Amino acid sequence: MIAAIPSPLDLVDLPFMRTALAELALLAVAGGLLGTWVVLRRLAFFAHAVGTATFPGLVIAEAAGVTAQGAGLATALAYAGGVERAGKAGRGLGDAATGVLLVAALATGVILASDVFHSGAAVDRLLFGTLLGLGRGDLVFSAAVAVLALVATTTVGRTWTAIGFDPDSASSLGLPSARADLLLVGLVAVAVVAAVPAVGALLVTSVFVVPAACARLLADSVRAMLAWAVGVAIAQGALGLYLAYWLDTPPGPAVATLGAGVYALLAIGSAITRRQG
Amino acid sequence: MSAGVRADGLAAGYGGRQVLRDVSFELEHGRTLCVLGPNGGGKTTLFKTLVGELPPLRGTVEVDGRPAYVAQTERTRLDFPVGALDVALMGSLPHGRWWLPPRAADRRAAEDALERVGLSRKAGARFGELSGGQRQRVLLARALVQDARVLLLDEPLAGVDPASAERIAALFGELREEGRSLLVSTHDVESARRFDLVVCLNRRQLAFGPPREVLDRATLEATYGREMIILEDGGPARAVTVQHHEH
Repeated sequence: MIAAIPSPLDLVDLPFMRTALAELALLAVAGGLLGTWVVLRRLAFFAHAVGTATFPGLVIAEAAGVTAQGAGLATALAYAGGVERAGKAGRGLGDAATGVLLVAALATGVILASDVFHSGAAVDRLLFGTLLGLGRGDLVFSAAVAVLALVATTTVGRTWTAIGFDPDSASSLGLPSARADLLLVGLVAVAVVAAVPAVGALLVTSVFVVPAACARLLADSVRAMLAWAVGVAIAQGALGLYLAYWLDTPPGPAVATLGAGVYALLAIGSAITRRQG
Repeated sequence: MSAGVRADGLAAGYGGRQVLRDVSFELEHGRTLCVLGPNGGGKTTLFKTLVGELPPLRGTVEVDGRPAYVAQTERTRLDFPVGALDVALMGSLPHGRWWLPPRAADRRAAEDALERVGLSRKAGARFGELSGGQRQRVLLARALVQDARVLLLDEPLAGVDPASAERIAALFGELREEGRSLLVSTHDVESARRFDLVVCLNRRQLAFGPPREVLDRATLEATYGREMIILEDGGPARAVTVQHHEH
């Protein structure tokens, strides 16, 4: 049976809902802005893999009583560094290698959680997040990442656009491609770690890929895409949280499902418009 | 420096693997050089070395300032949400201040450049929706905004409509008059005759000099091998290249 429709004002009146909403808004800024670059530079799979790569690190941190962020950051940056090195060596870390790494990280995390540290109950939380159990530290981390994403986008955005659009001409334009790419990959890794407590290692793409992918279908300039991505992320976060509260489902998956639904509708709509045009 | 570009005993390649050798030429300011050779002959490798993206394996290269490089249009991301004016504006990035939004002067320079290539009315059009020739002209506009003394253009006339080709050829003349050095790669022998100088490459430099001295039957055969059919109709040797594309 579906519960009575709750007041949307509960989202701001109830302290735990307010925290969740604030976290989603901060992640919307970070995810919408960085996600735009992730989608434009075709790093969606990388963003997903970085999230999953943090999982074994988080399990160990949980068992050792170390801060999860530190361990997540270490694994995410190590992974991002590996990808960047492989890319620089001209080989690139192909989709297949990324896929293998993803599975290995997931499986290692599960084994560590169930058989080594016997912390099985934490697996759900680490994989799918706990939007309703966030602490002040999580909000501060997400706020810092949102500010970083905003500063990076306003300063390095033109460079990222020029490199992404025409990589061959980057050096003749005097653009430091390698450093700009490293900065982007590193920022995405850090931002993914900030999002893990809220949406979990497996659902980070709902923050870093889905809103920007929706924006890609709506916008015809990079600037508009950035704005749409943040807007879609905020709307998807608030509505998803409200639906989860109403239907009593876990909020992280609710936000992710809603985002995927919105993307599907937009993709169908844009395909129809293209066919008519 | 007096010359726009100078290469001396240059060997170049990727990751230590040599794909081009024995390149020596000099190009004065206000002169045009056609870099002629088959696909895979080393034209793009030479350009990447001149831009500074690839270090020379042997020998030296000198370029006056940072050259503007116009890659083949199919190397650009056509799905990127950028307009013609946005692309032209990218030419202002090397002028410092890359971390700030473009200034009014940068915007004017980009608009002027689009006008020079005959595309002011397409300033707001999506790059990916323009024709091949128009895209090439937008990339040229970006090079104009860069205001480089040396321009490197990789196959700028390949797959370009006649109107665009005419506009591009006229622009080459103007840039030459302004004292800039132009290096234009092509695999089309006939278009090479319109340049001041020609350098023939096929994994090494086979000839360098004015077209009437360089473009003889022996050099063309050495450059293209079996990719070429020579048409002899009394006048100078005319050549038609047959491109063997790998599928």
